[in-house]
Amino acid sequence: MSQEIVDEVAKYLTSNIPIVPISQGAEAVVFTTTIHPYIPSSNNEKKEKFIIKYRPTKKYRHPLIDKSLTKHRTLSESRILSKLYQIDGIKVPKLIACDPYNGCIWLEFLGEDLPNGFGFSNLKNFLWMNAKDPYNDCVKDTLYKVGQQIGLLHWNDYCHGDLTSSNIVLVKDEDYGTNWIPHLIDFGLGSTSSLVEDKGVDLYVLERAIISTHSSFADKYNEWLIQGFSDVYKSKGKQGNKKLNEVLKRFAEVRLRGRKRSMIG
Amino acid sequence: MTLITIPQFPEYNVSITLFKDVTNSKVIRSHIADSKIAFLDAKLIVSTEQVYSAIYKALIENKYNRLRTKTILSECLFCLSPTSNIGDAFKKFGIKDDSKNVICLKVLSNGESLDDVNKEVLDVVDGTMIEFNDDNLKDMYDVTLVRKIYKLEKDFQPATTTELSRALVNAIQIRGL
Amino acid sequence: MVNLNTIKPKNNRNYYLALGLEGSANKLGVGILKHPILPSHESGDNSHHCQAEILSNIRDTYITPPGEGFLPRDTARHHRNWCVRLIKRALEEAGINDPRNDIDVICFTKGPGMGAPLHSVVIAARTCSLMWGVDLVGVNHCVGHIEMGREITQAINPVVLYVSGGNTQVIAYSENRYRIFGETLDIAIGNCLDRFARTLKIPNAPSPGYNIEQLANKCKNKDQLVELPYTVKGMDLSMSGILAYIDSLAKDLFKGNKKNKILFDQKTGEQKVTVEDLCYSLQENLFAMLVEITERAMAHVNASQVLIVGGVGCNVRLQEMMGQMCKDRANGQVHATDERFCIDNGVMIAQAGLLQYRMGDVVKDLKETVVTQKFRTDEVYVSWRE
Repeated sequence: MSQEIVDEVAKYLTSNIPIVPISQGAEAVVFTTTIHPYIPSSNNEKKEKFIIKYRPTKKYRHPLIDKSLTKHRTLSESRILSKLYQIDGIKVPKLIACDPYNGCIWLEFLGEDLPNGFGFSNLKNFLWMNAKDPYNDCVKDTLYKVGQQIGLLHWNDYCHGDLTSSNIVLVKDEDYGTNWIPHLIDFGLGSTSSLVEDKGVDLYVLERAIISTHSSFADKYNEWLIQGFSDVYKSKGKQGNKKLNEVLKRFAEVRLRGRKRSMIG
Repeated sequence: MTLITIPQFPEYNVSITLFKDVTNSKVIRSHIADSKIAFLDAKLIVSTEQVYSAIYKALIENKYNRLRTKTILSECLFCLSPTSNIGDAFKKFGIKDDSKNVICLKVLSNGESLDDVNKEVLDVVDGTMIEFNDDNLKDMYDVTLVRKIYKLEKDFQPATTTELSRALVNAIQIRGL
Repeated sequence: MVNLNTIKPKNNRNYYLALGLEGSANKLGVGILKHPILPSHESGDNSHHCQAEILSNIRDTYITPPGEGFLPRDTARHHRNWCVRLIKRALEEAGINDPRNDIDVICFTKGPGMGAPLHSVVIAARTCSLMWGVDLVGVNHCVGHIEMGREITQAINPVVLYVSGGNTQVIAYSENRYRIFGETLDIAIGNCLDRFARTLKIPNAPSPGYNIEQLANKCKNKDQLVELPYTVKGMDLSMSGILAYIDSLAKDLFKGNKKNKILFDQKTGEQKVTVEDLCYSLQENLFAMLVEITERAMAHVNASQVLIVGGVGCNVRLQEMMGQMCKDRANGQVHATDERFCIDNGVMIAQAGLLQYRMGDVVKDLKETVVTQKFRTDEVYVSWRE
């Protein structure tokens, strides 16, 4: 991460909020801190951590495009998180604070460090960690649950817009020690949509992300994801089955378009 | 009495006092226009977090010159509301003639001590001062009213006050955007 | 372990010579490339550093009148007309008198591309191969771009943004394949620019995209922007909606449709937006999207280098924006090449083909030389990298 951006954020937050940079995504930089934006720190006995997601000015793009994108994405991400929080079964981080003027949101910290230096517990690292035994039950269970999360999301007419294995964070299940509960993060490109096209594209983006990042095992992985996805729809009765067929049909069409595209050099 | 400072805006100190069994709400209300204190009815306040988050929001608006009301104090009250209607927010969250449990907010001015504020608040409110904490608040809120005002989804059935509070904080943070 | 030196050059020379033939779209390119034998290639992945020497790099572009695109049949005829002349010139420039003895391998574009033009060039490749008794290697056009870009810029493992008339892809290498992380969901960037140039009826020479770039430079009011849809979908993007919208604006502008609020002041009827403004806004919008998906891929695979290849990659504004993006990332570097290598050419086919050849991958039967319109970048097994 460039020091310039870190300085910019530190200045915005003041010296009262010490920050630790953890990642630089394409549109946001992410920090952790132990200071809550508004609850007095004396209440933070558990030394809880928080996520600060800051969308820095992107100097490469025209200021008008930049401003409108930053505001739009900060707001839409906050709004979607807030709505999704109220939907039973969907796992997303809790929104703590939102400053749309500076493209800054505060979120609950999720996940942990994986053992043996495999890094943070997102799906990408988790799958890499399991590469020696790629089809074990825990992998299957986890991918199935990821599929379910996306199923729930789509069933409720929300689309993620940027589904990749790094945008899925795994949280240890406190009741069943070895199981993971997938949480969806990073809704910057998210939207509410009832269009099958958007859902089909969402699934296609994820499928491709799995193929490109976890190529050797992608077929099985995608199969499990779709299983979890489908079971959510199937549990919704006749209407669910009908909608599932529509989404999957469009998904196949989007995929086909992808292949056809390579026609012209 | 609680004194709160938002880490990002250390120049502002806000005092929060909670009273139960208030008997003179009607009188307080009649003087509200020229008061330097904001009075909230605790009926819609589920948690301390909810109030803190509104103060944070108000200070953000203040910092970027987006205040919709006249003062930071009134903005704090306005920021509790999930809608952008100012009059409506004051009516719903402000003190009512029959309010029993009241929360007083004050932005401390330069040189003002917590004792000064304490005295000032006690002068105005006839009631029992208790600590502003989640435990005390939890018996004061009206869950049906809260759900209605914050337009929570019907299917959203929070098991705990913490979960309910979270939904309110969300509404506060995304209001008017 | 990769060893690029197992196949020996002809006649015990200490270097290889490859002839590259490219004709997948409206450019016909012939190039001759020399690789010295380097000890560093015996063990390990040094495929980005071949010390390649370009002995000739000749190109002829089929240019259509303003407002017209190039049709496969006419383009193929152009390639057939020029192919022999270009090959002769390339040999001459490279100082090769006896291709039978001097050329190690003939590399041709196997795909993807337009069928008819690909076909006319492969016929030339087969003919030369049979006539001279020289081995053939079929090359994936996109991989050609990538390998040439790596060789020229010495970028070891970059995220590649491949932007041309027919392709818009964000590519990164992993496990012996160039994998596609993001791409267009509908039309390619170059296609979008070309088609808009046709709507504007601006010349196709030297290239429509170049002329749009020049018009955009002339925009007088760069503080303002005509708002266009911004359609990034994860690491993918969509451009057909943007084209349809800006096309309709341009048409309204030419017709003088005063009802259009974006183009004309509703009170005074004064024109607010010029053709230059439209070009500027289109570039700013499309390139912002390209840079964004590239950065998304970089973040996803933890890369710090970007390589821009393909015809649209010559655009200075795109390079500038990409540079700015990289500056804000730790150790970020952008690599781009100039028009000699960005735009389709024969040398890039020779570069990728020669790498393939040196790994022992040659055509064994002429049946394998059938060209294909569809040929995805990730179908190629990249044996020359670790």
